[in-house]
Amino acid sequence: MKSVNIRLSLLILVLVHGAIASLWAQEKYIDKNGIVIFEASEQLFEEVKATNESVTAILSTETKQIASLALIKGFHFKNSLMEEHFNENYIESDIYPKAKFKGNLIDLNAVELDENVTEVPVEGILEVRGEQKEIHTVLKIQKIGDIISITGEFIVTPGDFAIEIPKIVRNKIAKEVLVKLDFKLAKK
Amino acid sequence: MLEMRKLSILIILIPFFALAQEDDLLDEIDNISTEDEYEIAAFKGLKIVNFESTKMVSKKQLFFVVSHRFGSVKTGIEDFFGLDQAVTRLNFIYGISDGINIGISRSSFQKTYEGSLKLRLVRQGRGGSPFTVVVFNSVLMNTALEEEILPGLKFEHRLSYSTQALISRKLNKNLSLQLAPTFFHDNLVAFNGQENSQYTIGIGGRHKLTKRWSINIDYGLHLNRAANSPFKNPLSIGFDLETGGHVFQLHFTNAQPMNTNTFLGQATGDWGNGDIFFGFNLSRVF
Repeated sequence: MKSVNIRLSLLILVLVHGAIASLWAQEKYIDKNGIVIFEASEQLFEEVKATNESVTAILSTETKQIASLALIKGFHFKNSLMEEHFNENYIESDIYPKAKFKGNLIDLNAVELDENVTEVPVEGILEVRGEQKEIHTVLKIQKIGDIISITGEFIVTPGDFAIEIPKIVRNKIAKEVLVKLDFKLAKK
Repeated sequence: MLEMRKLSILIILIPFFALAQEDDLLDEIDNISTEDEYEIAAFKGLKIVNFESTKMVSKKQLFFVVSHRFGSVKTGIEDFFGLDQAVTRLNFIYGISDGINIGISRSSFQKTYEGSLKLRLVRQGRGGSPFTVVVFNSVLMNTALEEEILPGLKFEHRLSYSTQALISRKLNKNLSLQLAPTFFHDNLVAFNGQENSQYTIGIGGRHKLTKRWSINIDYGLHLNRAANSPFKNPLSIGFDLETGGHVFQLHFTNAQPMNTNTFLGQATGDWGNGDIFFGFNLSRVF
């Protein structure tokens, strides 16, 4: 009799756990084919630009947190030699295969999101090559149907991630790198 | 029984603790494996020095490669260490796909036209194949032969063929090695005693010295060279300098010609007595 009681209470426990967990389940939106483009071109020189169309991004409307992950090898350049060089000698993607971002959309009010573009400031940390850089920028957010669209841009420098640009190419690569992002997040 | 109740309360609270910790969104998406990726950049140039490497031209890209071998440095100041006796080859290579390249070239050595087909069969990958395997085929046409000098010369005598397997492995971040068993056939050989069908084992490697410099070496061991042939096995040593979009290759070699058949079959220089050639390969991407 006692063992039945214990079993019963265990079952109840499991159910209670499940109920609490689902009650607390956060509203999350995810995009696995997000686009991130960076450009460090100098006028008159060969274009230094790469696009990654398989960036993952996740947004929790509850906690107002956003996180994103990009594989370095997913960034494609027009010139494949440049792409190889970027992976091998600048980012060292064998050692540091991922770029990560973690941030907070401080003023996000998920309930008020609609088809009109809302500008929401974001602050967070971008990690590339094991080096962390604080990012502050403003994201443009809108909600169309069940999709939350986020676009924005910010600027970093190679020095932020301890990337040294050698003298011979110093005037062919811009001092500032413009990073653009375009995410279309669907409910998880 | 009291303890049991305490325990129950604790257990009921567990999901709250768990939720309190489950606030890192990044962990939810940071589950992409990078294990099955292909190795990149075993070689940077399309050639190690004289031998083709397993490097391919990417899809829809066009490479223009200018290769130059000065005359023998042995002649000294008389013709400025070979400046006056140079051989030049202009080569266009196009990537039909990442694994299929076609090329066309003209070399001033025996006024040779060449067409080539390069196919990648297997790519080295982590957790995949340990080697990259590429097949390189070329057809050569020697337009320097003249009927006045060689009576009975027919068109087919101008043609030569070669086919080789290129098997490379990037052993670590800095070192890549390649084996290149080669069969080539000259319809007309430069030395009478030489068999038309010839076999060679090519070996080569690249070792990175810094992020932008590497040292490259290749050697061709001829397996059926005629006993009294004046031609030597080609040994070449060079350096690659890469700047991001371009690769410059500077080297010394005892073979002045640059096509597969000609550098393997008709290398005249000799490292033993300083009879070597300085040269470079420059590539431009379109």
